[in-house]
Amino acid sequence: MADDNTPTDCSLLVVVVDTNPNQRYIIEDPKVLTNCLDAVIAFSNSHLMQKAKNQLAVIGCHFHKSEYLYPSPGKPLDVRQIDGQYELFTLVEKTIKMRLVNLIKSQPQEDKPGESLLAGALAMALCYISRVRRQLSPGLTMSSRILIVTGSSDTAAQYINYMNVFFTAQKQQVLIDVCSLDKHLSLLQQGCDITGGLYLKVPSLEGLLQYLLWVFLPEASERSKLVLPGGGRVDYRAACFCHREPLSIGYVCSLCLSVAVVTRSHEESTRDHGYCFVAETSSTVFKIGGPLATKPKKKKMKI
Amino acid sequence: MADDEVDPKEYRWETGYEKTWEAIKEDEAGLVEGLVAEFAQKAARKAAAPRRGPVRLGMMRHLLLAIDCSEAMNCQDIKPTRFLCTLKLLERFIEEFFDQNPLSQLGLVLLKNKRAEKLTDMCGNVRKHIKAVQGLTNMNLTGEPSLQNALEYAGRVLKPLPGHASRELLVLFASLTTCDPGDINTNIQALKTDGIRCSVIGLAAEVRICKKLCQDTGGEYGVILDDVHYRSLLLECTAPPPRARALDAGLIKMGFPHCAPLSAQPDNNADPPITQCMCHLEEGEGVGTEGHLCPQCRTKYCSLPAQCRTCGLTLASAPHLARSYHHLFPVDPYEEVPNEGQAQYCFGCLRLFNDLDKEPPFLCHQPPDPFPHQMCNVIHECPFPFISKHQQMFLRSDFWPGGVVFLHFIRLHRCGRCREHYCWQCAGLVSSTLHVCPGCAARPHLYQRLPDTS
Ligand SMILES: [Zn+2]
Ligand SMILES: [Zn+2]
Ligand SMILES: [Zn+2]
Ligand SMILES: [Zn+2]
Ligand SMILES: [Zn+2]
Repeated sequence: MADDNTPTDCSLLVVVVDTNPNQRYIIEDPKVLTNCLDAVIAFSNSHLMQKAKNQLAVIGCHFHKSEYLYPSPGKPLDVRQIDGQYELFTLVEKTIKMRLVNLIKSQPQEDKPGESLLAGALAMALCYISRVRRQLSPGLTMSSRILIVTGSSDTAAQYINYMNVFFTAQKQQVLIDVCSLDKHLSLLQQGCDITGGLYLKVPSLEGLLQYLLWVFLPEASERSKLVLPGGGRVDYRAACFCHREPLSIGYVCSLCLSVAVVTRSHEESTRDHGYCFVAETSSTVFKIGGPLATKPKKKKMKI
Repeated sequence: MADDEVDPKEYRWETGYEKTWEAIKEDEAGLVEGLVAEFAQKAARKAAAPRRGPVRLGMMRHLLLAIDCSEAMNCQDIKPTRFLCTLKLLERFIEEFFDQNPLSQLGLVLLKNKRAEKLTDMCGNVRKHIKAVQGLTNMNLTGEPSLQNALEYAGRVLKPLPGHASRELLVLFASLTTCDPGDINTNIQALKTDGIRCSVIGLAAEVRICKKLCQDTGGEYGVILDDVHYRSLLLECTAPPPRARALDAGLIKMGFPHCAPLSAQPDNNADPPITQCMCHLEEGEGVGTEGHLCPQCRTKYCSLPAQCRTCGLTLASAPHLARSYHHLFPVDPYEEVPNEGQAQYCFGCLRLFNDLDKEPPFLCHQPPDPFPHQMCNVIHECPFPFISKHQQMFLRSDFWPGGVVFLHFIRLHRCGRCREHYCWQCAGLVSSTLHVCPGCAARPHLYQRLPDTS
């Protein structure tokens, strides 16, 4: 459970791997994806090794869709034991690699890769987690968490999907951990903060496996005893619905609370299009007022 | 499918249920099951029809919730006891309250042993309230409550709050008596003068003084009939009160404090100055470097949402607003389709479909004993929260051996946009909690539900 420190009998980890070919590090050197994937596989197997009943799922997030890389739906692959390697590890590795190849092959050739739609993969992960919880044998306790490994940047276009996913994870006490391979991800960092997970931007890709093992392998119940990278300050500014930029002063529609207008520079244009972008009353032209009437009416506020 | 038209004039309890029982006839084999199932599915589909209409959310409500913790709460007329049932419902209430009233604050107070005892401070932290409620399970319930002390406390807490927002008290009252130190009418008068709206939900029978309190202060008074009725009375209180709803639609200027204080800007490594926050000015606490600064006047507050005492700006953080966005962008309900082998597994959770194949409707629930009669003939939501409501229905005892049951149907659920298939449990999760279709949210041409403003 996210906010108490009692150890659980087992733990479920869902790893979301961003496989989008337009991540900067893949464009620079496509082979790096294989290295990252190997690190994720090694990390996943370490998770399975921690406790006998630990469970794992891996979701690949490509630009055209997201898919489970492990477990495979239906019959598991037939793997023979190789050089004394634990069969399950071979199965995990083989399944992930085979299904990733299929996922990449299914990408539409004519479309240019867009942004990675991680919110969809997170929603899948939450469905999976609630199913595993339902099927848990009675008396067994299980903690659940999601780890996102991505080199994409986050844009406010997925803002609502992200927030819905974060609040669901918070309600269901699922931790969201984020390992960023490239840029600072302020939206995903909010998700970590809301759900109590960890956020880390790795300084270099070479040491990825070490970072994963040191920072993200310990379960929630063990983390309080370790010195882990601090969350840092989280930027909770709202994003404007029209320009999707974070702002510190904005106008909010009093019916639906959409942040309709944002920065000072937009103010004039907002006066012109002074209507709510969202509410069904969008035909109503709003008067732009100050804050809700305060008791002592001081000088008329300059907005 | 032909059952889509809904007559708005018909109340739920008037919907042709009687008529539909007539429609149930034995089939050739003498079984009613199949027909019952078909009819139940129609009813279920009707229940799934989403509420449409403009969303109106409440902002900046201040609600104090007083919970009776007297001996009367031990009573087992609702299961397992009045108190435990209340705690269970409260968890749901708190979540729903903050969903509908994203910038609001809630405070909890316990009425035990003639005293009013604070459980949580007025704040907007959902988890904190829920945790506090969960911690009450093993509390000793003794003595009599004092309604007057509750009103006294409410006046003390709610009076200093800014006047532009609603100030409300909700009392869950099980006792039939109150043990008051003085004349309660003075308190009622004071609350009325301060514009504090008081509502009471009675768990036993109507109490005159509660009714008077609600009437005088403009609140609602209700007495529960059973646990289902209790739940609906309680959840009704999450909707913004009429006065808050009557506020003009408009754009409100709002500040979103950036956590980093001024001095923590890049190229300045000095420690942030130690400042005093405005919310604890009187108590002399709240001195430190952490806090949220009003982006307009730089006054510091230690928790959000708040209203700036210096410049009047409403301060919030983006997640406060975002909690309610799912009202604006609801997921289109999935359609139920028979399992004809069109999909092998659930897109959300990978559960294979073939093992659900052709399972008959199953019983979810033993009938409550004794069976509350006012529930006859009414489609009810199953009290078991792990199943979404449109998959449940209540059957009258005459038609099912063993009395009242909830029937659950297993069919596939298909998203009309991304065409992926889901199991009923994932469909329930998506519609009740997640509000994101996993298939749509991962598709470049479907993931955005923002209005097109380009
Ligand atoms: Zn804008
Ligand atoms: Zn609006
Ligand atoms: Zn201010
Ligand atoms: Zn499912
Ligand atoms: Zn969909």
